[in-house]
Amino acid sequence: MKNKHLLSSSELQERARRIRRKIIEMNSRAGAGHTGADLSETDILTTLYFHVLGVDENNPEACDRDRFILSKGHGAGGYYCTLAEAGFFEESWLATYLQADSRLPGHPVRQKTPGVELNTGALGHGMPVAFGLALSAKMQNKSWKTFVLLGDGELAEGSNWEAAMAASHYHLDNLVAIIDRNTLQLADRTETIMSLEPLEAKWRSFGFEVFTGDGNSPEELLKIFSKLDFTSGKPKLILARTVKGKGISFIEDQAAWHHRIPVGNEVFAAIKELE
Amino acid sequence: MKAELRQTMVETLMEETEKGAEIVVLVSDSTSTSKISPFQEKFPRRLINVGIAEQNLVGAAAGMALGGMIPVTANAAPFLVSRSNEQVKADICYSKTNVKLIGLNPGFAYGSLGPTHHSIDDISVMRGFGSISLFAPQDPREVRNVFLHILGTDGPAYVRLDSLSCENLPGTEGVFTPGKISIHREGTGIALLCLGTAAHQGMAAAAILEEKGISATVAGISSIRPLDREALLSLLGRHDTVITVEEHSVHGGIGSLVAELAAEESLPIRLKRLGVPEGEFAPASPPEAIRALYRLDADGIASTAEDLVKSVTRRIS
Repeated sequence: MKNKHLLSSSELQERARRIRRKIIEMNSRAGAGHTGADLSETDILTTLYFHVLGVDENNPEACDRDRFILSKGHGAGGYYCTLAEAGFFEESWLATYLQADSRLPGHPVRQKTPGVELNTGALGHGMPVAFGLALSAKMQNKSWKTFVLLGDGELAEGSNWEAAMAASHYHLDNLVAIIDRNTLQLADRTETIMSLEPLEAKWRSFGFEVFTGDGNSPEELLKIFSKLDFTSGKPKLILARTVKGKGISFIEDQAAWHHRIPVGNEVFAAIKELE
Repeated sequence: MKAELRQTMVETLMEETEKGAEIVVLVSDSTSTSKISPFQEKFPRRLINVGIAEQNLVGAAAGMALGGMIPVTANAAPFLVSRSNEQVKADICYSKTNVKLIGLNPGFAYGSLGPTHHSIDDISVMRGFGSISLFAPQDPREVRNVFLHILGTDGPAYVRLDSLSCENLPGTEGVFTPGKISIHREGTGIALLCLGTAAHQGMAAAAILEEKGISATVAGISSIRPLDREALLSLLGRHDTVITVEEHSVHGGIGSLVAELAAEESLPIRLKRLGVPEGEFAPASPPEAIRALYRLDADGIASTAEDLVKSVTRRIS
């Protein structure tokens, strides 16, 4: 299945700006959310859903769809706003985010939200599941691809490396892992909490083809996606260098905005920066 | 005719794969533990070994289910339940993926290898998770029937599978009905309620008790979830003295299950729970020695029953 939008990089930029506005409105209305993570991943998700992924919003469970797993489940807000923008459900659902019995809970739930493949939230789960998905596609001679978006902080979970080892062992060139590398986690800088670098070398040594670029630039992301060779016998790792809270000057690159949401005048100021 | 339970599992998996079921078996270096070689020889591409990596074993199984296959994981119960606990919870139970988790050599089957290799908490842990069916088949016939059931039913399942080589028990004939309590032997004096293969020890105990003039009912609980609550209530209603027998902690297994039901329904029964006592690891000793220590062998069950019946009689007189 092909992506039906195939937006250009400038169109993706504009789309990402709209999605960011939705995130700010949704989180401030809900009074909670992971604003920093939502804004960090926006350009990656926009590029995936509006240019890369072969998915169908009218048939979210189509057998030949590409699979996407949001391993960093706390980025649910950015994910929901992207899915709504792509037509997977009514935009009015966004007003119910985090409410009792909402179709949009704090972390993704596949039984509730069209387009969601796995219930995430606990970290370190996406890679093993993505490995299993990609392996099942190979075993059944299916051409669909598996994409998984990882947070950088969650790379301290050993399960990621178990799956990375196995993906390489089974030559899963149909698996694309993307790291939202914003260098911040809940408490502080990733490198202060637990050194992750040298990430490129680590993934290469696990047998991955590694691509690095600006994860907040649809133009750079498109260039990387166009280079992926799905016949190379090797799984892929995209190290997407991002800024947590990207797009809003007073939110950018601060651990304090992991959980924070804009309130009062901050909402107007944030929206103004996105106009 | 005697059969080894894991071998029966493998034969059933092979039959169903031959019929076209999209089965894939995942192991974590546990090919010998699972006796899976005949399956591997016949369907080499359908056996995935992830190495000694239990988190990946279970996460990968969830992914393969989402990809349209029927994954069956086969490794030692202690490592499945403890090491991949959160994958079982989130990727299998909460995500409701069509994965069949097989916990091999549960209880203290690994005996002298010690508590790292014992699984006396699997039912307790799994009962705490939603969505997943829980089975502990008692004999070869039931192993086959349980596997036919789980492979043909969408949704997560856990099977506690012993390495026992045993005969079929009376009471497991016919179609397997999830939730059913098997009555292996009907008596009047006391009920011995057994988890999975412990029913074999229960039957041997009943024979000892018969010689002593005590008539025992032996019943097997092989379907912990779903559970036919009414059938269990009916059984408990017919007996005033009940012993639960399980190679499991008395916390969270069938002893707990019966105690909960009896308390909720205000049943006037005298209950003794045999198992690994609360707060203890079983020692690193051969399984027979551990059974004897906790009175889980035929002699221990029979003497416990005898003491209990006598004390009840004394109390009444």
